[in-house]
Amino acid sequence: MGWILFKRALRDLKTGFARYIALSLLIIFSLFIVISLMAAADTVIDTTEISDRELCCEDGEFSVFVPLRDEELKKITDHGVTVEKMFYADYEINENQVLRAFKVRESINKISLIEGTLPISDSEAVIERRYSEVNNVLIGDKITIGEKEFTVTGIGATPDYNTVIKKISDTVVDSRYFGLIFITPEAYDELYASGCSLASEEYYYAYLLNDVMSEDELKEILEDNTFDVDDVDDEYFKEYWNRMTERKDELLDGIDELKDGADELADGAEELRDGIDEFHEGMTDLHDAVPDLTDGIEALDEGAAELESGVKAYTSAVDQIESGASELSDGAAQLASGASELNSGAAQYGEGVNELSGTVGVMAQSEDPYIAGVAAGFVDPVTALATGYGQIQSGIAGVDSGAAALSAGAYQLYSGIKTLNSNSAALRYGAAALHAGTTELKEGAAEFAEGIDELYDGSKEIKDGSSDLAKGARELSDGVNEFSDEANDLIDEVFNIDLSNLRIFMTKADNPRIDSAADDVQINYSASIIFGILLVVLFAYVISVFIVHTIDQESAVIGALYSMGVKRRTLTLSYVAVPVIVTFISGIIGTLIAVYTPAGIPAQLQDTLGYFSMPKLDIIVKPFILIYGLAIPPVTAFIVNVLVVRNRLVRTPLSLLHNEQKAVRGKELKIKGMKFIPMFRLRQIMREIRAGLTVIFGLFMSLLIALMAINTSVYCSNVKNSYIDLTKYEYMYTYKYPTEEVPEGGYEAVAEGFKKEIYGYTFDVTVLGITKDNPFFDTGDLPDNDSDVVLSSSVANKYNLTVGDIFTLSNDKGERLYAFRVARITDYTASMFVFMDIDRCRDMFNEDDDYFNVVFSDHPLDIDGGRLYSTVSKEEIARSSGVYVEMMAPMVTTMSVASAVVFLVVMYLMVKMMIDRSAFNISLVKVFGFRNREVRKMYLDGNFYIVAIGALISIPLCKLIMDYIYPRYLVSNVGVGVTADYPPVLFAAIFAVIIVLYLAINFVLTGRIRNIKPAEVLKNRE
Amino acid sequence: MFIETRDLKKSYGEGGSFVQVLKGISIKINKGEMCVIQGTSGSGKSTLLNCIGGLDDIDSGNVSVAGTFVEGLKGEKLSDYRRANLGFIFQFYNLVPNLTVRENIQVCEYLTKEPLNMDELIDVLGLTEHQHKFPSQLSGGQQQRCAIARALVKNPKVLLCDEPTGALDSKTSRDILVLLEKINKQYGTTMLIVTHNNSIKNMVDHVIYLKDGEIYKDYINETKVPASELEDL
Ligand SMILES: Nc1ncnc2c1ncn2[C@@H]1O[C@H](COP(=O)(O)OP(=O)(O)O)[C@@H](O)[C@H]1O
Ligand SMILES: [Mg+2]
Repeated sequence: MGWILFKRALRDLKTGFARYIALSLLIIFSLFIVISLMAAADTVIDTTEISDRELCCEDGEFSVFVPLRDEELKKITDHGVTVEKMFYADYEINENQVLRAFKVRESINKISLIEGTLPISDSEAVIERRYSEVNNVLIGDKITIGEKEFTVTGIGATPDYNTVIKKISDTVVDSRYFGLIFITPEAYDELYASGCSLASEEYYYAYLLNDVMSEDELKEILEDNTFDVDDVDDEYFKEYWNRMTERKDELLDGIDELKDGADELADGAEELRDGIDEFHEGMTDLHDAVPDLTDGIEALDEGAAELESGVKAYTSAVDQIESGASELSDGAAQLASGASELNSGAAQYGEGVNELSGTVGVMAQSEDPYIAGVAAGFVDPVTALATGYGQIQSGIAGVDSGAAALSAGAYQLYSGIKTLNSNSAALRYGAAALHAGTTELKEGAAEFAEGIDELYDGSKEIKDGSSDLAKGARELSDGVNEFSDEANDLIDEVFNIDLSNLRIFMTKADNPRIDSAADDVQINYSASIIFGILLVVLFAYVISVFIVHTIDQESAVIGALYSMGVKRRTLTLSYVAVPVIVTFISGIIGTLIAVYTPAGIPAQLQDTLGYFSMPKLDIIVKPFILIYGLAIPPVTAFIVNVLVVRNRLVRTPLSLLHNEQKAVRGKELKIKGMKFIPMFRLRQIMREIRAGLTVIFGLFMSLLIALMAINTSVYCSNVKNSYIDLTKYEYMYTYKYPTEEVPEGGYEAVAEGFKKEIYGYTFDVTVLGITKDNPFFDTGDLPDNDSDVVLSSSVANKYNLTVGDIFTLSNDKGERLYAFRVARITDYTASMFVFMDIDRCRDMFNEDDDYFNVVFSDHPLDIDGGRLYSTVSKEEIARSSGVYVEMMAPMVTTMSVASAVVFLVVMYLMVKMMIDRSAFNISLVKVFGFRNREVRKMYLDGNFYIVAIGALISIPLCKLIMDYIYPRYLVSNVGVGVTADYPPVLFAAIFAVIIVLYLAINFVLTGRIRNIKPAEVLKNRE
Repeated sequence: MFIETRDLKKSYGEGGSFVQVLKGISIKINKGEMCVIQGTSGSGKSTLLNCIGGLDDIDSGNVSVAGTFVEGLKGEKLSDYRRANLGFIFQFYNLVPNLTVRENIQVCEYLTKEPLNMDELIDVLGLTEHQHKFPSQLSGGQQQRCAIARALVKNPKVLLCDEPTGALDSKTSRDILVLLEKINKQYGTTMLIVTHNNSIKNMVDHVIYLKDGEIYKDYINETKVPASELEDL
């Protein structure tokens, strides 16, 4: 009898054709979308995998300051690693577009031609496909770069630019303004040589490990390569390098000078000592000569006495006397000049002592305790020297004046003698005067001798002091030498300017340009599988409600069949047949439409093709997808309905025959004080709880879909708005090679980049040190201790941080860990910034006091492009964030409409069924005389509460689910911490839409209630 | 004995709503007999029939039908028992609404390996011209005839009829009874007919009269009249 009951099922299908068609359309649509998404995802993932293999997609890439030398390359390739140059240079074309030129690849990252051929001549080129599509560049078109014109011979894609972004940190592709061009090596060189590139050539290499070594091993080898700064072409790098090395050289020079000074000081002290030694020797000689001088003077005195006595023999000896006087005069003059020399010698000495004293004074004030200590030792001897010198000076002054008097006396003598010839009286007087003079001289000489003695003692003291000074100065010099050695080491450490030639090393997995389409669609695949099943469950459940309705209606019949021995399984299968058939056929149709129409897989692929630079895609439909499309709907429907139906058929034949169950439930419910109609309504709800729950389930599923769309929409516009609102600066310049001077009108900042992981994705977090007067960030006062920072809300949201939390950032190699405490969170979502004071930031990262690498400004600044990593303008931000909104708009609309349709259909079918089930009762109450309005209140308006309560529960619940799923699975690969928080009015709007949809259905079905005639009672009962 | 109950007791409910419906019923019915169970409404007729048919469990006593002790059967076994032995006819026909007359009969045809000849049966029941109609297109009598055909097609040993004419006018009732009589003769089917109608007892072999769950009368009808001659239906 199986097939007979099957026939019954088919007739059921026919009876409820309209509703089954409606459901079937929903299932077809769901399956169509799900299968399209899955197959498209599969196609993208598989094609990516296959083309990665065929095109020899790199295992990773690295860039260097200076192209690798042949032997350096050989060192790697000898191991068996394949390396190919991926040098490129950017060129501006059509005013504001940038084309990145590559040589045609040979063995890695080969070009997949979508159409056309690779360039053969030097004037031919292949253009990257997204650029060609967006800018409508066709084969045969001409592209002019600088002076050179290229003919497009091919359109292609390469695996290393699956996402065609200019910088690794870019989040959005904008093919309108950026693309790739592949030309012959000769053309490439010629083009670059023409000098029209936007920046200097970038030396990138791609590698294939070929399983011969690990990434780390390769990296180690590459890190060991050093480079000669002179080989770097980038002038800005050179300038930067020079500045850095100059700074070091200056410091080193300073230390050398210090060292030299100390040496000189030691040498000077030694020389001083030597000079003093010599001086002392001269002094000794002088000292020794004093007795002779005294003797000479005494002899002179004696002579004068003799002269005096001999004057009387004047006549005979007059000539003799004259010549003697002349001689005497000369001798006296000589003596005077000797004394004068002595005086000036002493003055010189005095200067020396002064200088010494000055030096010692300076040294005593030195900050270097060592030097000061040494100097302190000198103070006493130097003071002694100074007092000694005072004594010498007074002695010498006496000698000098004595000698001068002597000389004058001698001259007088001479002139007296000269007149003697004419005046003998005068002669006598003269002789007496001479004698007196010599006597005075004798006394002066004695004084002089005394002074010389004193001077001698002083000079001896100086000699000892200067020897100490020389020793001390030498010690100082040794100390300074030691200091300078250590300082040199220290400086080398501080200025550890890495001469490793490796600039960037990036594995395939870390490269956001590679395999991104496949990553992007992975979520579509998993989400589709789950959503597909959930939707089929919903629809199968909706069908099961109809089946239960049928079973309830046919309860007595079923009881009759049971009583004659028909088995439950047979009946179950016969009831499950309808949902299985409906879902199976719908599944087939949905799958076929997805697979065979352009609206299916090809349309879904368009999402990928419209964003990523994919190789040629051939649609791949895997058996799993077909099995999914063909089996999941009937199997799900089977399981759901068997569970529901079996539960319904498990009753005894007798209870089925009497159709007992239903009546019992409503009767039990009785609430005191409740008016008749509300009470009746409550009973009706209880009676139809299954349909009610199905409405809520349908509402829930629709809301899930709707909220996914709304979240996307809100998220995208939040991204856009917050980017635009919060970006207060017009330009942000990030330096590759910072200058010393902040450009006029710019606000400098220090940015240190970090990577931080969450949910398996890694994002760039930037610690931004800003000046207090920076007008572009609303951070409030920046904390003035090292660990406290102000977090942008993007970072806080992305990493679930709140005020007071501690979080860490570690540098590239993970060898340094920085811990921060969240002092405040500021509403800023345009970038992942961690704000701190610029000086603290400089300290933390060991930068100079005037260092900066980012400049913000509200107008364009004149900075050389080659000096910069990037220039971000607010306009660009607005444009690229708008791309999201545009990209998502069709999907948002489709999903919103789809969810509304799902809800409408499910609710309509369920409510209509409730009315059908109650048709008999409704006609009965009409017979009793209830008016249509009352009947509607009793039977229909209860649903309002179901829908309203269902919505009140489902909306926040779905929102919670979406908020959980959304950042983790749907936008987790986008590095912005924007939330999809709804304004309260949006919640109200969603609620309102649900109620409006309900009211629309209510309106339609009120007509249906009106149409139930009281006479139906009579018709129904035989 | 073909059908036998011994001290069959059956009650419903607990506490205040407790009702002892059958208070120890012992009956014996021979193979091929037509038996009427009569009594006022609520006297326990349907309950007795259901207990014999294995549709309801009993509190105590035995029920045996064609050598099978019904009270010990459960689940599939019970179902197999009914499948092998019984046909049911109800007051409200209980036909599958969206199967035609013929198909409704076919549902039960497959319950046995040796069904009666379909066409002959349909012919016997006078349904030939209606066999492709749906129940809703038939009169009550025609529907009941279809229900009888459905019950008979698997050639049951026992036909249990609960108020088979309860919803029919007297002329149609007579037709149905004539048919049952004819089938009893033709196929030798043992029949238990529950009715509150006082005339039907005149056409059968055996009359059991229930009153308040007890046997009030149990006698063999010696003065059987053909169904066609029954009055006051
Ligand atoms: N499922 C049941 N639950 C409770 N009481 C029942 C049930 N079925 C029958 N009864 C009661 O058993 C008594 C006999 O019922 P029934 O056998 O149907 O009477 P009849 O068929 O003779 O009119 C009635 O009083 C009825 O109320
Ligand atoms: Mg009864």
